[in-house]
Amino acid sequence: MAAPIAVHLEFGGGAELLFNGVKEHHVTLPSQSEPWDMKQLLVWIQRNLLKERPELFVQGDSVRPGILVLINDADWELMGELEYQLQDQDNVVFISTLHGG
Amino acid sequence: MPAQCSSCTEKRAVLKRPKTGHSLCKECFFWAFEEEVHQTIVAAELFKSGETVGIAASGGKDSTVLAHVMKLLNERYSYGLELMLISVDEGITGYRDDSLETVKRNQQQYELPLKIVSYEELYGWTMDAIVKQVGLKNNCTFCGVFRRQALDRGAVMLKVDKICTGHNADDVAETVLMNVLRGDIARLRRCTAISTSSEGEGVVPRCKPLKYAYEKEIVLYAYFKKLDYFSTECIYSPNAYRGYARTFLKDLESIRPSTIMDIIHSGENLSVREGVKMPVQGTCSRCGYISSQALCKSCVLLEGLNRGLPKLGIGKHHRLHDKILSQQPLTEKEERKLKSVDF
Amino acid sequence: MCQVDEEYQEELERADGPSVSKKCVKCKEASAAVVIRAGDTYCRSCFKEYFIHKFRAMLGKNRVIFPGEKVLLAVSGGPSSCSMLSQVQEGLSQKAHKKLRFSPGIVHIDEGGAVGQSAEERQRKVSELQAVFKATGFPFLILPLEQVLDLPSSVVETALSPLEPPPSAYKAAVDRFNQTSSSDYLPPQEREEKSLPDVQKSHTQLLQQLMGSAKTLTAREDLLNTLRQHLLVHTARTEGYSKLMLGDNCTRLAIKLLTSISLGRGAQLAQDTGFSDSRYGNIISVRPMRDYSAKEIAFYNHMFNVPAVVVASLDTKTSEKASIQRLTESFVTKLQTDFPSTVSTIYRTSEKLQTACRSSSSADHSDRCLLCVCTLDTAVEKASAFQATLISEQLSQTKSLGCRNPGQSPGPVKPESAASTGQCCSSAGGEDCGRATSGGGCCSLTTETTDLKSLLCYSCQLTIRDMSSVDHLPLYILSEAQRRQRRAQMRDEISEFLLDDGDEGIYREV
Repeated sequence: MAAPIAVHLEFGGGAELLFNGVKEHHVTLPSQSEPWDMKQLLVWIQRNLLKERPELFVQGDSVRPGILVLINDADWELMGELEYQLQDQDNVVFISTLHGG
Repeated sequence: MPAQCSSCTEKRAVLKRPKTGHSLCKECFFWAFEEEVHQTIVAAELFKSGETVGIAASGGKDSTVLAHVMKLLNERYSYGLELMLISVDEGITGYRDDSLETVKRNQQQYELPLKIVSYEELYGWTMDAIVKQVGLKNNCTFCGVFRRQALDRGAVMLKVDKICTGHNADDVAETVLMNVLRGDIARLRRCTAISTSSEGEGVVPRCKPLKYAYEKEIVLYAYFKKLDYFSTECIYSPNAYRGYARTFLKDLESIRPSTIMDIIHSGENLSVREGVKMPVQGTCSRCGYISSQALCKSCVLLEGLNRGLPKLGIGKHHRLHDKILSQQPLTEKEERKLKSVDF
Repeated sequence: MCQVDEEYQEELERADGPSVSKKCVKCKEASAAVVIRAGDTYCRSCFKEYFIHKFRAMLGKNRVIFPGEKVLLAVSGGPSSCSMLSQVQEGLSQKAHKKLRFSPGIVHIDEGGAVGQSAEERQRKVSELQAVFKATGFPFLILPLEQVLDLPSSVVETALSPLEPPPSAYKAAVDRFNQTSSSDYLPPQEREEKSLPDVQKSHTQLLQQLMGSAKTLTAREDLLNTLRQHLLVHTARTEGYSKLMLGDNCTRLAIKLLTSISLGRGAQLAQDTGFSDSRYGNIISVRPMRDYSAKEIAFYNHMFNVPAVVVASLDTKTSEKASIQRLTESFVTKLQTDFPSTVSTIYRTSEKLQTACRSSSSADHSDRCLLCVCTLDTAVEKASAFQATLISEQLSQTKSLGCRNPGQSPGPVKPESAASTGQCCSSAGGEDCGRATSGGGCCSLTTETTDLKSLLCYSCQLTIRDMSSVDHLPLYILSEAQRRQRRAQMRDEISEFLLDDGDEGIYREV
């Protein structure tokens, strides 16, 4: 059993609009049999945080194209994307690049 | 409340025209559809009286409607054209053999001469055999390149002056989008042209009389006229990338039906900056067909098939053309690279 | 019919799976923080250097902005335009390596009235932006879009285009600048900022009526773009600026290019998406951010704390198929995920295009579109998509033109012919017929629409077609339309006395 972990989530670039306009969320992911990865985090966000229009945030089992993800201030493409295993106190940022300008 | 025909204002409308939003009854639709093709032919001066015109016939909806309308207009407006059908037999069991049966029936219904040219006869390879060697990834490249030449060869055998193909407005709009997505500026510029002039020896001028006809209307025309056509998709699935463009186009059409024409308008009004490099057309030094390289694509692909190096024509291997021409053996490394095929 | 009828080069490269390589490709020491494109991983400081360099390089390469010139930055508050603002700040700062040498100002257009925001929301956004702008020390203006209703007609008249400066002009300007101002050049002074003028409720209502008269989101977005552009150009002119800097990034421009094609704007593509756009004559728009992807900008803003203010737009939170613009955006971003070279390929296409020049620089402004001010692309050429659509319209609505007589076909259709049949209801599409039965006032409206059409480019005609009425268009547009119509009438009346065709000849001699 993995212990519960605390992560810091941040939504920006307009993505926060899907979360009642709240940009920062300190959340605790409950304890579960296997370690938390990004894929599971997205499911968790969808069930627990997302307020509206889930298709504007997730598509399939990943984020919607056009939403960037940073894990601890680095591009998640460098971290293994969906397979990245979350650690306690991780910082995950979602930035929408849609409607920019 | 059933809508009334906006043209005769008497009969019940059977369709809403995507191009204009008008509702038409069956007879007024037939009239408008045929008249529009006629207007296109006249305005673009596609044919001259006395010419022999080959209709590229696949048995599908577009070419069946094209053959029907061409015959009808030729009589109605006394174009003075001699029409014939040209079909290409790619050698695809369960697909082309069935659709060719449709073409043969059309030949009898329309009383037009028919010429079938086959890949096997021209190149010594059927598509079935090619797929066995190259797999399902690049097979469409072979088919597309071979078909283009096959039609020309058939046209030369029949001594036709022009070939007309069943490309419709949706096809043209889709090709515009494709060429933007591929950044292919040379093709982007030419793809909206309604006709091509003869580009060289053995290349017959082509035109698209259905260029401004919506696919939807072509299908409805064939349906209401009860035309005999073959509607199965090719069993060797067409390339995925084109599928993206097609889906996008259909989605655009659902938002604003005139989009298809709007895209063609865009394509017709594009202007390329001076100084942008365009490929120079020459001729293939082996078969004399037009080519921007020493060897035409068809000869390279064929060489690859015959040598058991199917990847030779896929991707850029221009450097090897000289070697092939002078019949030099390829190095082991070159061979290895060209052999591997991803399935 | 199988569409694979031409040879193509190999398919675009597909995206590879996540790659986990952690060193910066530039300094090869620090650990990477950003993947710009496949294989290009940068660390924080190399990324910053690269980003800053690119901005200078873009301006340097194009040599459009002269030293000392007044340049108006259009800042929407979004990441891209805010990033542009920060780059200008960076480039003007004393420590900058190759200092920028123009004098900037900021304009923000508050579109809350068109988007349906409450006055409080608008005020809140405006004060957020005010704080960002004040911090730059640049003079700034925040204007409500409602001001567009009071513009003069001069906006849509192209001012006489300045002659293309010779290549030597740039160098001469640099020399002049260096002689005069190397020592006594002062940084732009902070000007008393103008706070948001009170927006009259009635104005907001008028704007909303106008937006509401566009029946589709596609048309509404197009209309909003046009109005915004007019207000920006007008502001630049009245405030003495000669360049307008827009924040369009590479991703945005790729989307815009594909959108423009779908909207029938092919002829204007080069101006719509190129580095500079000179359709407004003495105000030239430039797009220095066009080399950056949305991703680069988002990362830069995040890492280096560039403030941005999220401003709702017309298509915020709308579904994928709500409009052509919206659909294209989601198509491009999805395709980009599967084929990472999508955006850059489309973008490269834009660099190879030019505006179709039908003597556009010397043409009388009646040859320009009343709304988007591009050169008209509606000459009815034989065998064109435009002509084919007109024929379809004609054939779908009337039997009275004698075309039922086999063997005798109508000649090429003129654009006016749809109106001349007197069946304007059906000519404007099915929806208006419904209005005719209820209101009866449809014919007069549609007639006006049809009249307006002759002054518009192909694409703006589509936008107007999607509007229930043109009555809510701002006065400056309607009165300019009337003026042009009168002028066209006059030209028709005197045409037989003129040796040249119309008054173009007269204009060219001037």
